[in-house]
Amino acid sequence: MKDESIQTQNKFIDAAIKGKILVNKCRNCGQLMLETVYYCPVCSKSDFELVEFDGVGTVVTHTIQAVAPEGFEDLDSYAWVVFSVDNTPIRASGFLPGIKVPADLPIGSKVKVTGYDKKHGLSLQKLP
Amino acid sequence: MTNSVCVLGAGSTRYGKLNESIIEIALNAAKGAIDSAGITPKEIQAGYISNVFGVADKQVHMAPVLMSNLGIPNVPGLTIESACGSGSVMFREAYANVAAGFYDCLLALGVEKVTHTGTTQSTTLFSYCSDFFYEGGNGASFPGLFASIARAYLTTHKATEEDLAYVAVKNHDNGLLNPKAHIRKKITVEDVMNSPVVASPLKVFDCCPFSDGASAVILCTEEFAKRSPAAVQGRADITTIPSTVAAAKQAYKMAGLRPEDIDFAEVHDCFTIAEVIDVEDLGFFKKGTGAQAAREGATRRDGRIPINPSGGLKSKGHPIGATGIGQVVEVFEQFTGAAGDRTVKDAEIALTHNFGATGASAAVHIFQKV
Repeated sequence: MKDESIQTQNKFIDAAIKGKILVNKCRNCGQLMLETVYYCPVCSKSDFELVEFDGVGTVVTHTIQAVAPEGFEDLDSYAWVVFSVDNTPIRASGFLPGIKVPADLPIGSKVKVTGYDKKHGLSLQKLP
Repeated sequence: MTNSVCVLGAGSTRYGKLNESIIEIALNAAKGAIDSAGITPKEIQAGYISNVFGVADKQVHMAPVLMSNLGIPNVPGLTIESACGSGSVMFREAYANVAAGFYDCLLALGVEKVTHTGTTQSTTLFSYCSDFFYEGGNGASFPGLFASIARAYLTTHKATEEDLAYVAVKNHDNGLLNPKAHIRKKITVEDVMNSPVVASPLKVFDCCPFSDGASAVILCTEEFAKRSPAAVQGRADITTIPSTVAAAKQAYKMAGLRPEDIDFAEVHDCFTIAEVIDVEDLGFFKKGTGAQAAREGATRRDGRIPINPSGGLKSKGHPIGATGIGQVVEVFEQFTGAAGDRTVKDAEIALTHNFGATGASAAVHIFQKV
């Protein structure tokens, strides 16, 4: 089961590299879930397919941290961003380099996935 | 049919930066609880231990080691982890086993030692409590997770960063009266607003400290106690914690009580925004008015519903494996006249609330003085 989970995470990373967000979709009821699950929280069925969505969305909330976790010290200043993925009920998070103050990224700004950094995770870019 | 469960005794170390080993810290709290209960270790039938980062002090397999150190090596012990909610989740399991009649008397103890690892390492360790692949792995620290909740709350509701500061000021006022509190320092709203940003919009004084410490209680059946002073009963929206709402609903139902029946509460204020959301989720205030309640003083010791008379995680400290049990110790001290100047007048019913990480787990307990 763990191997399957890791494989799904690898597929999520592969999709992110293409600028996509990979989501689990329940084949029975259509529920969409970001995380790897083994039973649907809505209908309890266990039949899923992986679906890719464009990695474009709207900023729901974010923060700029003075003390970053280990591995992120080399980034000058970045925002950790929660964004809602367009055309889905899914919320995902990623890091957005170059954001120095909250005014640089108003709530409601549009962002897109630009890839997956081995060290820093899902990378984002602010759209004009 | 379940047994009534009593808190027979309670003990706690000071919370803060402690030099002893994690086992020594735990033993100091255990000894306090055993002495307070007036029993000997031989009367303890099991040890329930909560801890998260024992590995940081090179000690896992905590419960059996502790049982041996208490001179009862063959008494069963188990260790329970549920991030910052470990203490309360463990307390629930301990309570259930006494209520079910499986044990007559047991030790419930939480302990943590993390400050020696330093700020960067502690920040990293705490980020492992998130859903790491989707959150911590993208660069979110724990303050960062709550900062994102704070930004969402301040965007959604009529509340300001200054409102959050009132939570910190109130809890520091209470912590000043608690000799075991980690940070005993009076602060003002201006101090909070002018303190350095940790994760925008949260500033240093919006955040609880990393703490070492241990708290312990002796739980037993009413029959065992006889001398007992206290008995136990019983996210589509980013600005609420669904596990708190669910746990509170269950606790109120078990106790046959409503939020307005509670005389005071110890709630999980790892950050000022957390207390604001807690008091709403627990039913003390309407959604979106928790920050206003802090500003107007409704949660002060002399307010409508005193919140965190101990000083809370914010001032008393947050040794994460011990925090939930520390809240129970506060209730015990309040009910037995041991809370000194921070006593909540005429309190007879109290609530504790503790959650893990950003609320993936939560536990609510309601206590009645007997």
